[in-house]
Amino acid sequence: MTSHAGLMIIFALFVSIVFGTLMRDEPKEQLRFGARLFAAFVVGGIVLGWLLYPLPL
Amino acid sequence: MRATTADREQSATYTYLICAAAWAIPGAGHLLLGRIQKGLTFLITLTLMFVFGLWLQGRLFPLTELSQPLVALAALADLGIGVAFFIAGKLGLGAGRVIAQTYEYGNAFLIVAGLMNMLVVLDAFDIAQGRK
Repeated sequence: MTSHAGLMIIFALFVSIVFGTLMRDEPKEQLRFGARLFAAFVVGGIVLGWLLYPLPL
Repeated sequence: MRATTADREQSATYTYLICAAAWAIPGAGHLLLGRIQKGLTFLITLTLMFVFGLWLQGRLFPLTELSQPLVALAALADLGIGVAFFIAGKLGLGAGRVIAQTYEYGNAFLIVAGLMNMLVVLDAFDIAQGRK
């Protein structure tokens, strides 16, 4: 649960819930927007992680 | 009928009280404005995120180190969560353990919880003003 990916998913979940609730008024729209945001965060994080993978630190 | 100066002053006071409540307790502003679902969602989510940040051994940056700009900005962001910031400080939580593996993650959770509560306060302000 405290792995990088696990914490990223939990973080994305919290942020998606708040922004979904903040940006939309109807519960159904909030759920849809929040789910899309969550998916974008998680997929974006994984894609960015792989793009940065070859870079030397 | 036009609003009188007294009406406008009363309305402004009410709006600022709503904002103060929204800052002090996440979601309280929405609850007072009758947006129960939104208020409860903010209350549960932001409080949980703050607690999670503390559990991950993040640090609540002190307001006393204002000479260091990054610490000061982090402290202001942390303060955004409201009364919980002071309660956690009184309970000795949020000292931050730099050597903990989850220290930076904890900081991110604490800072973002505070910043998102600031957005919630602005949303409550807009609702109180009748813009939403």
